[in-house]
Amino acid sequence: MTKPQNNDGSSAVQLTHVTRTYKRDEFEVRALDDVTLDIPRKSFVAIMGPSGSGKTTLLNLVAGIDHATSGRVAVGGEEISAMNEREIAAWRARHIGLVFQFYNLIPVLTAFENVELPLLLTNLNRAQRKTHVEAALKAVGLADRMGHYPRQLSGGQEQRVAIARAIATDPTILVADEPTGDLDAKSAEEILSLLTELNRQFGKTIVMVTHDPRSERFVDTVYRLDKGIFIGAEQGGRTARPTHATETAA
Amino acid sequence: MTKFALLVFKNLTRSKRRTILTILSIAVSLFIFAVLVSLPTFANQMLADTTSSVRLISRTKMGFAYPLPEAYKPRIATIPHVVAVAGLVIYGGIYHEASDQFPSVATDADQIDMWSDWGLTGVDEFKKMKTACLVAQGTMRRFHLHVGQQIQLRGTVYPFNVTLTIVGTIDKGPVPSFLIFRRDYFEEAAGKPGIAHEFWVRVDDSKVVPEVAAAIDHQFANSTAETRSASEAAAIGNILGRYRIFMRLAEFLGLVAVVAIGLVAANTAAMSIRERRSEIAVMRSIGFPSWGILSLLVSESLIVGLSGGAIGCGVAFGLFKVFALNADALGPFVSLHVPPYVLAETLGVAALIGLFSAYVPARAAAKRSIVEALRLVD
Repeated sequence: MTKPQNNDGSSAVQLTHVTRTYKRDEFEVRALDDVTLDIPRKSFVAIMGPSGSGKTTLLNLVAGIDHATSGRVAVGGEEISAMNEREIAAWRARHIGLVFQFYNLIPVLTAFENVELPLLLTNLNRAQRKTHVEAALKAVGLADRMGHYPRQLSGGQEQRVAIARAIATDPTILVADEPTGDLDAKSAEEILSLLTELNRQFGKTIVMVTHDPRSERFVDTVYRLDKGIFIGAEQGGRTARPTHATETAA
Repeated sequence: MTKFALLVFKNLTRSKRRTILTILSIAVSLFIFAVLVSLPTFANQMLADTTSSVRLISRTKMGFAYPLPEAYKPRIATIPHVVAVAGLVIYGGIYHEASDQFPSVATDADQIDMWSDWGLTGVDEFKKMKTACLVAQGTMRRFHLHVGQQIQLRGTVYPFNVTLTIVGTIDKGPVPSFLIFRRDYFEEAAGKPGIAHEFWVRVDDSKVVPEVAAAIDHQFANSTAETRSASEAAAIGNILGRYRIFMRLAEFLGLVAVVAIGLVAANTAAMSIRERRSEIAVMRSIGFPSWGILSLLVSESLIVGLSGGAIGCGVAFGLFKVFALNADALGPFVSLHVPPYVLAETLGVAALIGLFSAYVPARAAAKRSIVEALRLVD
C-alpha cells in the first residue's frame, strides 16, 4: 500500500485516511473507507476496481466536486477538503480539467465554444481565449472541427473536444472518469494515446478511472480499490516511461 | 460580462419553439394586462384633473331624470363667492344609427366661458349662432366631422330632433366624446319647459366650494326640487362610481392574467432547467460558481419575460393607436390609450415574471450536488 508523502511538492494528490459515506434511504453506504494514497506529479495513473469499489468517488474527491466525510484531501499541495464552496469552485477552474465518460459537451455550443467555456472564467481577452482554444483543439487533432456542434462529431471526436476543454485552461491535473467507456476499441485506443501524449509532452498529471484492462499498458501506475478500500498500487504496462514521472507507488 | 452573453443567447435558441411560445404567451397576457390596467386610467386622470376645480355642480336629489326649475339660476347667482352659473340640459341624441351615441348637452351660450379650460375653439360663433355646437375631438375623429358641417341629432329622451352646425371643438374636455349646443335652442325646440338637469357654478376660490355647495342646498331645502350640490370632482366621481366597479374588475382580471402566465412561465423555466441539469453540473464542475449559474439562468428567463413584455406593450400601444378613433363607442369615461406609466408598469411586471419564474428552479439547480446531478457515484 502506498504511504502518504510529506508535502514536498512531489505529490500531485495526497489522500490521508479519507472516508466517504453516503446516506441512501435509511442505509449508510461507505463508498471509501480510510483510504490513504499518494499520486506523484506528472504521472499518468489509473484507478481500477469492480463496480461499487469507490473509484469514481475517489476521483470526485480529487476533482473537488465531492467532499470527504473525514480525512484530508490535498491536491497540488492545497488542502481542498478545507475549502468552502466558493473557494473550491475557483480552485477547480484553475487546477482541474475534467473528462467524463459521456463527454458532457454542451449541445448548443460548437467545439470551439465548448472548449472556450472554462476560459470564460479567466481574465483572458477574446483574442487570448481564441489562441488557447485553437491550441487545445490542435493538440487533440481537431483543429479542423472548431465550428462543428457535438451532434456533428463522432463519439471519439466528442471525447477529444472534451479533453481539449479539460486542458484549455492548462490545469494542474486532468481527471478522467471512464474516458473510453463509451467508445469502440479503435477510438478508445486513440483517446488513451492522446492522454499519454498529453502526459508525456505537457507533463500533465492524469488520474483516470477505468474498467478497461487495455488502459493498464498506457499508465505508469494502477491503483486498485475494492469495496471502498485501497488494496494496493502496481506498476502499469507503459513501456516508454516519461523521465519526469516520480514513482511513489509501491 | 458580455462574454457570457453568447452563452445566454445560445441557450435561448436551444429550443426555439419553446422560447417563442413562452415569449408569445407572456406577450398575450401582458397585452391583456396593459389594456385592462389602462382602461381606468382615464377616469382616474379625470378625477385628478378636477380636484382643484373652482366649479361645482347642483342636481336634484331625485336623480338625473328629474330636472330643476330654471328659476334656480338667478337665486344661485346671488350666493356669496359665486362668479357664474350655467344651466345644463342632458339631451342624449343619436347621430345616424343607434350605436352612434355620445353625450350631448345644451347650455347657456353666454356662460360657455365657464369651461374655458377645456380648450374650446369657436366660442365667438357659438355665442352668435343659435344652432351652433361644439364637438369634442374624439367625436370629431370618430365620425370624420369638420368645423362648418351641419349635423342632425335624433332625440331619444325628447320627441324632437336638433339640427346643429359645428362651429368649434373641445380639445381638452373631461371626456373624449361629447357635444355641447345652446340651451336657448333646446328651450325653443322643446316648447320652453324652463328646465335644467344641472347647474354648473363657478366660484372665486376652490377652498369655498364646500361652503357654496352647502349654501345652495340650504337655499332649496324643503322645496319641491331639493338640490344636492358637490364639487366637480365629487360629482364626476359619483357618476364614475358605476363604472369603477368594472374598472376594478378589469384591473383584477389583468392581475389574474399575470399570475396565470407567471405560473406557466415558472413551469416552463423549471422544465427547461431540469432538462439541463447535467449540463449545469458540468459547468459547475469546470469552475462556474453557483451564483454565476444562477445569474445565467435568471438572465435567460429575464430576457424571455422582457421580450414578451415588450411585444405585449407594443401591440397594446399600436392597437390602441389604431382603434382610438372609435374609443368613444365604449362610453364617455373609457379612453383607448396606454399611458407611459402603464407601459413601464407592464415591463416591470414582465421583468418580475422573468425573475421569479426562474429563480427557484435555477437556485435549486445551482445548489444541487454536482455528483448527484452527474450521477457520478460508483
